[in-house]
Amino acid sequence: MSEFTRSGGIYSLELSIDEAHILINLVEQLLELLGEGDFSHHYDESDPFAQLMAQLKAAPDEIAPPEDPVLLRLLPNAYADPEAAADFRRYTEPTLRGKKKRTLTQVREALAVIVDEDRGGVVEDLEGEIWLMAINDLRLALSVRLEINPESFDLFETLSDEDPQKPIYAVYFWLGWLQESLLNLLAGG
Amino acid sequence: MAIDTVTESDLDISQLVDKPWVTIVWDDPVNLMSYVTYVFVKLFGFTQEHAHELMMQVHNEGRAAVTTGSREEMERDVQRLHEHGLWATLQRDDKI
Repeated sequence: MSEFTRSGGIYSLELSIDEAHILINLVEQLLELLGEGDFSHHYDESDPFAQLMAQLKAAPDEIAPPEDPVLLRLLPNAYADPEAAADFRRYTEPTLRGKKKRTLTQVREALAVIVDEDRGGVVEDLEGEIWLMAINDLRLALSVRLEINPESFDLFETLSDEDPQKPIYAVYFWLGWLQESLLNLLAGG
Repeated sequence: MAIDTVTESDLDISQLVDKPWVTIVWDDPVNLMSYVTYVFVKLFGFTQEHAHELMMQVHNEGRAAVTTGSREEMERDVQRLHEHGLWATLQRDDKI
Protein backbone atom coordinates (compact mmCIF):
# COMPACT_ATOMS: atom_id res chain seq x y z
CA MET A 1 0.00 0.00 0.00
CA SER A 2 1.18 3.50 -0.82
CA GLU A 3 2.63 5.83 1.73
CA PHE A 4 4.40 9.16 1.77
CA THR A 5 8.17 9.15 1.78
CA ARG A 6 10.74 11.85 2.41
CA SER A 7 14.24 12.08 1.13
CA GLY A 8 16.44 15.08 1.75
CA GLY A 9 13.45 17.24 2.70
CA ILE A 10 11.55 16.30 -0.48
CA TYR A 11 8.16 14.61 0.00
CA SER A 12 6.87 12.07 -2.49
CA LEU A 13 3.92 9.72 -2.82
CA GLU A 14 3.89 6.66 -5.03
CA LEU A 15 0.41 5.71 -6.20
CA SER A 16 -1.04 2.94 -8.32
CA ILE A 17 -3.21 4.13 -11.20
CA ASP A 18 -6.34 3.06 -9.27
CA GLU A 19 -5.28 5.00 -6.18
CA ALA A 20 -4.45 8.07 -8.25
CA HIS A 21 -7.88 7.90 -9.91
CA ILE A 22 -9.67 7.55 -6.59
CA LEU A 23 -7.83 10.52 -5.15
CA ILE A 24 -8.27 12.87 -8.09
CA ASN A 25 -11.97 12.02 -8.38
CA LEU A 26 -12.54 12.80 -4.70
CA VAL A 27 -10.58 16.03 -4.99
CA GLU A 28 -12.56 17.13 -8.03
CA GLN A 29 -15.90 16.29 -6.42
CA LEU A 30 -15.02 18.30 -3.37
CA LEU A 31 -13.83 21.19 -5.54
CA GLU A 32 -17.16 21.19 -7.36
CA LEU A 33 -19.02 21.18 -4.08
CA LEU A 34 -16.95 24.11 -2.80
CA GLY A 35 -17.43 25.93 -6.09
CA GLU A 36 -21.18 26.21 -5.76
CA GLY A 37 -22.25 29.81 -5.44
CA ASP A 38 -18.65 30.97 -5.63
CA PHE A 39 -17.74 32.85 -8.76
CA SER A 40 -14.16 33.61 -7.82
CA HIS A 41 -12.86 31.25 -10.50
CA HIS A 42 -13.86 33.88 -13.04
CA TYR A 43 -11.11 36.08 -11.61
CA ASP A 44 -7.53 35.84 -10.57
CA GLU A 45 -8.13 35.00 -6.92
CA SER A 46 -5.06 36.88 -5.73
CA ASP A 47 -6.44 40.13 -7.13
CA PRO A 48 -7.67 42.19 -4.15
CA PHE A 49 -10.52 43.61 -6.19
CA ALA A 50 -11.63 40.16 -7.24
CA GLN A 51 -11.57 39.09 -3.60
CA LEU A 52 -13.75 42.02 -2.64
CA MET A 53 -16.13 41.27 -5.50
CA ALA A 54 -16.33 37.65 -4.42
CA GLN A 55 -17.28 38.75 -0.91
CA LEU A 56 -19.90 41.18 -2.14
CA LYS A 57 -21.40 38.62 -4.45
CA ALA A 58 -21.36 35.90 -1.85
CA ALA A 59 -22.69 37.93 1.02
CA PRO A 60 -26.45 37.97 0.32
CA ASP A 61 -26.72 34.22 -0.26
CA GLU A 62 -24.24 32.95 2.24
CA ILE A 63 -25.34 34.47 5.49
CA ALA A 64 -27.22 31.25 6.09
CA PRO A 65 -25.11 28.19 6.89
CA PRO A 66 -24.65 25.84 3.89
CA GLU A 67 -27.47 23.36 3.46
CA ASP A 68 -25.16 20.58 2.34
CA PRO A 69 -23.89 18.87 5.52
CA VAL A 70 -20.45 18.34 3.95
CA LEU A 71 -20.09 22.06 3.34
CA LEU A 72 -21.35 22.82 6.83
CA ARG A 73 -18.62 20.56 8.23
CA LEU A 74 -15.91 22.18 6.08
CA LEU A 75 -17.23 25.72 6.62
CA PRO A 76 -18.66 25.48 10.14
CA ASN A 77 -20.35 28.11 12.26
CA ALA A 78 -17.91 30.07 14.43
CA TYR A 79 -20.51 31.07 17.02
CA ALA A 80 -23.33 29.19 18.72
CA ASP A 81 -25.45 32.33 18.35
CA PRO A 82 -26.98 32.27 14.83
CA GLU A 83 -26.80 36.02 14.36
CA ALA A 84 -23.12 36.26 15.31
CA ALA A 85 -22.40 33.13 13.22
CA ALA A 86 -24.10 34.67 10.17
CA ASP A 87 -22.19 37.91 10.59
CA PHE A 88 -18.86 36.11 10.88
CA ARG A 89 -19.68 33.84 7.94
CA ARG A 90 -20.58 36.80 5.76
CA TYR A 91 -17.10 38.28 6.07
CA THR A 92 -14.92 35.19 6.35
CA GLU A 93 -16.51 32.35 4.41
CA PRO A 94 -15.37 33.45 0.94
CA THR A 95 -11.78 33.52 2.19
CA LEU A 96 -12.05 30.12 3.88
CA ARG A 97 -13.73 28.62 0.83
CA GLY A 98 -11.06 30.11 -1.44
CA LYS A 99 -8.20 28.71 0.66
CA LYS A 100 -9.70 25.23 0.64
CA LYS A 101 -10.20 25.42 -3.10
CA ARG A 102 -6.60 26.53 -3.67
CA THR A 103 -5.28 23.69 -1.49
CA LEU A 104 -7.35 21.10 -3.34
CA THR A 105 -6.47 22.59 -6.72
CA GLN A 106 -2.78 22.26 -5.96
CA VAL A 107 -3.23 18.58 -5.11
CA ARG A 108 -5.39 18.03 -8.19
CA GLU A 109 -2.72 19.50 -10.47
CA ALA A 110 -0.01 17.29 -8.97
CA LEU A 111 -2.21 14.19 -9.38
CA ALA A 112 -3.19 15.15 -12.93
CA VAL A 113 0.42 14.73 -14.04
CA ILE A 114 0.29 10.99 -13.49
CA VAL A 115 -3.45 10.45 -14.10
CA ASP A 116 -3.37 12.13 -17.52
CA GLU A 117 -0.74 9.66 -18.65
CA ASP A 118 -3.02 6.86 -17.44
CA ARG A 119 -0.38 5.24 -15.33
CA GLY A 120 0.57 4.92 -11.72
CA GLY A 121 3.60 6.74 -10.55
CA VAL A 122 5.31 8.95 -8.05
CA VAL A 123 3.96 12.39 -7.16
CA GLU A 124 7.28 14.08 -6.61
CA ASP A 125 8.30 17.12 -4.62
CA LEU A 126 4.83 17.62 -3.18
CA GLU A 127 4.03 20.17 -0.49
CA GLY A 128 3.46 18.16 2.67
CA GLU A 129 1.39 20.78 4.49
CA ILE A 130 -0.92 21.26 1.51
CA TRP A 131 -1.47 17.52 1.09
CA LEU A 132 -2.06 17.11 4.81
CA MET A 133 -4.88 19.68 4.76
CA ALA A 134 -6.36 18.37 1.53
CA ILE A 135 -6.46 14.77 2.75
CA ASN A 136 -8.04 15.95 5.99
CA ASP A 137 -10.78 17.77 4.09
CA LEU A 138 -11.41 14.68 1.94
CA ARG A 139 -11.74 12.56 5.10
CA LEU A 140 -14.12 15.10 6.65
CA ALA A 141 -16.26 15.13 3.51
CA LEU A 142 -16.43 11.33 3.33
CA SER A 143 -17.12 11.09 7.06
CA VAL A 144 -20.27 13.18 6.70
CA ARG A 145 -21.54 11.00 3.84
CA LEU A 146 -20.69 7.80 5.76
CA GLU A 147 -21.89 9.18 9.12
CA ILE A 148 -18.61 8.12 10.69
CA ASN A 149 -18.69 7.48 14.44
CA PRO A 150 -16.35 5.73 16.88
CA GLU A 151 -17.91 2.34 15.99
CA SER A 152 -17.50 2.74 12.23
CA PHE A 153 -14.37 0.63 11.88
CA ASP A 154 -16.09 -2.34 13.57
CA LEU A 155 -19.06 -1.87 11.24
CA PHE A 156 -16.74 -1.74 8.21
CA GLU A 157 -15.16 -5.04 9.19
CA THR A 158 -18.54 -6.77 9.39
CA LEU A 159 -19.77 -5.47 5.99
CA SER A 160 -19.96 -8.08 3.25
CA ASP A 161 -17.80 -7.52 0.19
CA GLU A 162 -20.97 -7.00 -1.87
CA ASP A 163 -22.09 -4.07 0.25
CA PRO A 164 -21.96 -0.95 -1.95
CA GLN A 165 -20.78 1.12 1.04
CA LYS A 166 -17.77 -1.11 1.66
CA PRO A 167 -15.42 0.41 -0.95
CA ILE A 168 -16.25 3.92 0.31
CA TYR A 169 -15.41 2.92 3.88
CA ALA A 170 -12.22 1.34 2.56
CA VAL A 171 -11.21 4.60 0.89
CA TYR A 172 -12.03 6.56 4.06
CA PHE A 173 -9.81 4.35 6.22
CA TRP A 174 -7.09 4.28 3.56
CA LEU A 175 -7.01 8.10 3.58
CA GLY A 176 -6.61 8.05 7.37
CA TRP A 177 -3.69 5.68 7.04
CA LEU A 178 -2.18 7.85 4.29
CA GLN A 179 -2.59 10.97 6.41
CA GLU A 180 -0.93 9.27 9.37
CA SER A 181 2.07 8.34 7.22
CA LEU A 182 2.45 11.97 6.16
CA LEU A 183 2.02 13.24 9.73
CA ASN A 184 4.78 10.94 10.92
CA LEU A 185 7.13 12.57 8.42
CA LEU A 186 6.00 16.15 9.09
CA ALA A 187 5.93 15.87 12.88
CA GLY A 188 9.19 13.93 12.83
CA GLY A 189 10.91 17.20 11.87
CA MET B 1 -18.31 73.01 28.73
CA ALA B 2 -20.29 69.86 28.30
CA ILE B 3 -18.35 66.72 28.82
CA ASP B 4 -19.52 63.50 27.26
CA THR B 5 -20.01 60.94 29.93
CA VAL B 6 -20.26 57.25 29.59
CA THR B 7 -22.76 55.46 31.75
CA GLU B 8 -21.92 52.07 33.08
CA SER B 9 -24.42 50.37 30.77
CA ASP B 10 -22.60 51.76 27.73
CA LEU B 11 -19.41 50.01 28.66
CA ASP B 12 -18.65 46.70 27.10
CA ILE B 13 -17.20 44.75 29.98
CA SER B 14 -15.15 42.74 27.51
CA GLN B 15 -13.09 45.84 26.78
CA LEU B 16 -12.13 46.23 30.42
CA VAL B 17 -10.71 42.81 31.07
CA ASP B 18 -7.64 41.30 29.62
CA LYS B 19 -8.72 37.97 28.18
CA PRO B 20 -12.47 38.05 27.68
CA TRP B 21 -12.93 35.64 24.76
CA VAL B 22 -12.03 32.01 24.35
CA THR B 23 -11.59 29.63 21.40
CA ILE B 24 -13.15 26.20 21.95
CA VAL B 25 -12.19 23.11 19.96
CA TRP B 26 -14.85 20.36 19.90
CA ASP B 27 -14.33 16.63 19.65
CA ASP B 28 -15.22 14.84 16.43
CA PRO B 29 -14.73 11.20 15.45
CA VAL B 30 -12.77 12.00 12.27
CA ASN B 31 -9.73 14.17 12.93
CA LEU B 32 -6.79 11.97 13.90
CA MET B 33 -5.42 12.57 17.40
CA SER B 34 -1.95 13.05 15.95
CA TYR B 35 -3.34 15.57 13.46
CA VAL B 36 -5.08 17.65 16.13
CA THR B 37 -1.87 17.77 18.18
CA TYR B 38 0.11 18.72 15.07
CA VAL B 39 -2.28 21.59 14.24
CA PHE B 40 -2.11 22.97 17.80
CA VAL B 41 1.69 23.05 17.65
CA LYS B 42 1.71 24.55 14.16
CA LEU B 43 -0.88 27.28 14.72
CA PHE B 44 -0.23 28.30 18.31
CA GLY B 45 3.40 27.35 18.86
CA PHE B 46 2.50 25.14 21.83
CA THR B 47 5.00 22.64 23.12
CA GLN B 48 4.35 19.06 22.08
CA GLU B 49 3.34 18.26 25.68
CA HIS B 50 0.85 21.11 25.97
CA ALA B 51 -0.64 20.38 22.55
CA HIS B 52 -1.01 16.71 23.48
CA GLU B 53 -2.71 17.59 26.78
CA LEU B 54 -5.22 19.86 25.02
CA MET B 55 -5.88 17.22 22.36
CA MET B 56 -6.56 14.64 25.12
CA GLN B 57 -8.90 17.10 26.83
CA VAL B 58 -10.83 17.53 23.58
CA HIS B 59 -10.96 13.76 23.15
CA ASN B 60 -11.96 12.89 26.73
CA GLU B 61 -14.15 15.83 27.70
CA GLY B 62 -15.60 16.64 24.29
CA ARG B 63 -14.12 20.16 24.19
CA ALA B 64 -11.20 22.26 25.31
CA ALA B 65 -10.44 25.96 25.49
CA VAL B 66 -7.28 26.31 23.44
CA THR B 67 -6.64 30.07 23.34
CA THR B 68 -7.91 33.21 25.07
CA GLY B 69 -7.69 36.84 24.01
CA SER B 70 -9.64 39.61 22.35
CA ARG B 71 -12.63 38.83 20.18
CA GLU B 72 -10.66 39.72 17.05
CA GLU B 73 -7.80 37.44 18.06
CA MET B 74 -10.17 34.56 18.73
CA GLU B 75 -11.97 35.07 15.43
CA ARG B 76 -8.62 34.78 13.71
CA ASP B 77 -7.80 31.60 15.64
CA VAL B 78 -11.17 30.04 14.81
CA GLN B 79 -10.68 30.90 11.15
CA ARG B 80 -7.26 29.24 11.10
CA LEU B 81 -8.62 26.15 12.88
CA HIS B 82 -11.42 25.93 10.30
CA GLU B 83 -8.82 26.14 7.53
CA HIS B 84 -7.30 23.02 9.05
CA GLY B 85 -10.64 21.24 9.41
CA LEU B 86 -10.92 21.40 13.18
CA TRP B 87 -14.34 22.10 14.63
CA ALA B 88 -13.91 25.36 16.58
CA THR B 89 -16.09 28.13 17.96
CA LEU B 90 -15.47 31.26 20.01
CA GLN B 91 -17.42 32.63 22.95
CA ARG B 92 -17.06 34.95 25.88
CA ASP B 93 -15.05 33.41 28.65
CA ASP B 94 -17.88 32.98 31.17
CA LYS B 95 -15.45 32.25 33.98
CA ILE B 96 -14.70 35.97 34.20
